[in-house]
Amino acid sequence: MSDVRIYHSLICPAAALAVACVCAGASLTALPEYFRPDPFGAIVEPDRTAGAATATESVLETARAAYASCHLVATIPEGGHYDLELQPFPATSGIQAELYREWFHYLPSRKGYFSDALIPIQPPYRSQLPEPDNRIPKQTVQAFWLDVWVPRTAEPGAYQTTAVLRSGAKTVRMLVKLKVLTAIVPSEGAVAIDHNSYGTSWLADQYPALAKRLGANFFTSDEFFELIHAYHRIFYEHRGVFHQLGYGHAGKVGPEFAPLLEGSGKGKHIADWTLFDRHYGPLFDGSAFAGTHRGRSPIPFVYLPINPEWPASFLWWGEPGYEREFVNVVSEMERHFREKGWTATRFELFFNHKKRYKGFPWDGDEVRFARDYSYFKEYARLLKQAVPADSPVKFVFRADVSWTMERQFKELAGIVNFWVCGGGEFGWNPGAPKLLKDRGDIVWIYGGTPPITEPGSHLTTDVLRPWLWGIDGFVHWQTAAPGEDPWFHSDGGGEALVYPGDRFGIEAPVASIRLKIQRNAVQDITLLDSFRRAIKGERLTAEVARRFNDTALDEWWTPRPRLADRNPEDVSNADYEDELPKSPKFAGLDSAAWQRVHNYTLQLAREAQ
Amino acid sequence: MICKCALLFAATGLFAQPDSRSSGLDRVAQVATVMIDGDTCRRIQTPRSAQYLLQKDARDPWKASDNFDVNDEAFIETKKTLMRLARLCPEACDVNLWMPVPSDPPRIQILIRNVHEMSQFWTWGELHQEMPPEMKRVLDTGARVTVSRRPGMISVLAPVYDSVGDIVCLVEVVSLAAPDPRENVK
Repeated sequence: MSDVRIYHSLICPAAALAVACVCAGASLTALPEYFRPDPFGAIVEPDRTAGAATATESVLETARAAYASCHLVATIPEGGHYDLELQPFPATSGIQAELYREWFHYLPSRKGYFSDALIPIQPPYRSQLPEPDNRIPKQTVQAFWLDVWVPRTAEPGAYQTTAVLRSGAKTVRMLVKLKVLTAIVPSEGAVAIDHNSYGTSWLADQYPALAKRLGANFFTSDEFFELIHAYHRIFYEHRGVFHQLGYGHAGKVGPEFAPLLEGSGKGKHIADWTLFDRHYGPLFDGSAFAGTHRGRSPIPFVYLPINPEWPASFLWWGEPGYEREFVNVVSEMERHFREKGWTATRFELFFNHKKRYKGFPWDGDEVRFARDYSYFKEYARLLKQAVPADSPVKFVFRADVSWTMERQFKELAGIVNFWVCGGGEFGWNPGAPKLLKDRGDIVWIYGGTPPITEPGSHLTTDVLRPWLWGIDGFVHWQTAAPGEDPWFHSDGGGEALVYPGDRFGIEAPVASIRLKIQRNAVQDITLLDSFRRAIKGERLTAEVARRFNDTALDEWWTPRPRLADRNPEDVSNADYEDELPKSPKFAGLDSAAWQRVHNYTLQLAREAQ
Repeated sequence: MICKCALLFAATGLFAQPDSRSSGLDRVAQVATVMIDGDTCRRIQTPRSAQYLLQKDARDPWKASDNFDVNDEAFIETKKTLMRLARLCPEACDVNLWMPVPSDPPRIQILIRNVHEMSQFWTWGELHQEMPPEMKRVLDTGARVTVSRRPGMISVLAPVYDSVGDIVCLVEVVSLAAPDPRENVK
């Protein structure tokens, strides 16, 4: 809900002043969150839009139970030592300012720098330019991300604090003004934004210092489990969900993702819950989130380790032993969850394997061949046997679908009740949200993660689209893989929204600018959604779409392509490329797109006061 | 007491030395040659999928993998045999099935993998790959070949015959001295 109120018509004098300050020595200025500065004083090329420039004070406006954000830009043309101080807001207000140093990632493909990773700092922050660890020759600017957390208990009204930059003999001050509105952002998000990942082996790679310190005990240490919880925590605090798939394409299950099994056939049973409970206990009872701004809460979703090889051995597939092993073990799981009171989380029966990885003869993920549906029907039957009909534990059957989505919606009705759909295919099925929601199914769409070379607004499309479509969420299919060297040879971060804190001595992930932009968009959508009672019909969504990218709601759906009515087995990715329209209103989205939605959200919040 | 423990550990493979591990895997590979039905193996990949296998499309890099498909019955029958064979190993092992791909230069594809995700040859995610010389030797001569490229990992390659006596494909019986329980959980 933040508003760095730098209206375009007023910006030029401020920018001129900022330039004047630069000429005279150190300066401290502000930028709205969507305009990322580079290390030399310019705004990065993808974010440049009319009126994008720095301002000499920051004016933030927000609802409560929300963050307000902006960039603080410290410019020291001559370089050298400096310190940045940010005075706190009044302690009685509960308002907290959190400051992060922005890391400038070098992208060889662009031969330039983009800020994204945010390193938490405690003011006063003392350093020098060029920043020693970022190693940028002739760096004259260091950017900082300012997050201001406004709790639901804060008194509405005006607040202000001061940021102070000292460099050599010069001291410059910048006011940070904050207006707190009466509105409160609901704690439950209007859309779920999910962040997917695979396994845990990457944690040892991304945290070499921690792995070295713990040696062979790394994967059973308290620090390891705390690290997993830290990943959940960072996404939760950013109004997101985190998923870690715990098995491979041939059925290998990571030890901390499943209870330990013993025996075979009728004797197969759970022998040890220790690692599973250390992993999931604090996530299912919510204690892992104690101390966050959002407060403790159980994770809403989790993958089960169930796959064709676990808990039943594929050796018995089609024989009585498979059913016996599956039903016995899953029944034990249901009982354990029930006894522990883990009834708030949805436990997902989900098959990720694909036959191309040669482990099993059918596709669990993105089914292309219709005969594979029979396996889903069989697992639904087994699950029904294993879980009592009146169980308070929430088991759901999830399927990630693309090629044969429409047929699966029909043939697997009542079997799959959690659909994660390819956004492209879903886009020509405007009747699908009603069809699926009317029968109580959960519906998400999935896609990639816009890299740091694109304007931040591109990420907000993935927040807006499910809301406009009337479905429940969006999945970034990979969000914890920043590449081999994200710091000095970034691949663009298309598979990462967090970075390992290891190189900064932090045994936890650090957020990215993109994650913060996404969080702020989820806040806005959630607050907007609360206005549905006052603004009936499609007026609200239509106005949001108009402000975002000058679209009508119909333009968010695509005309049904010819390929939709061909045999899906004969359709290729190239056909999609040829037949799906590419609207410049989406591909050429400007960096200020969400700022317009944000301003509208604040306008409605003010009117509601 | 010490002797009893040593015997116990030796029996469970904990103290197994490379030579004894190799010989244990070799025995399984020998049985695999007898037990695996090459005619059934030929039927695993569907003819349609085989047509796509080597196709390259600059506009659709996933064309071959999106069209990869198998006959369930042949796959399951063979996979179950491979899984039973793995139970003969003195320690955790996988028995993988490799099928040559008609091509020049010769290529090969792993066609069935198993739960420990072990192989000394498979490049993770590859649909098919260059024929390793050790595999070519097995296919050309029918000899069993023991390979130890990766530290701690031993593979024994053995031929699989069809009913007319031709070598159709091969198995890789593979184990790792200290398996990583998280490797390839992705």
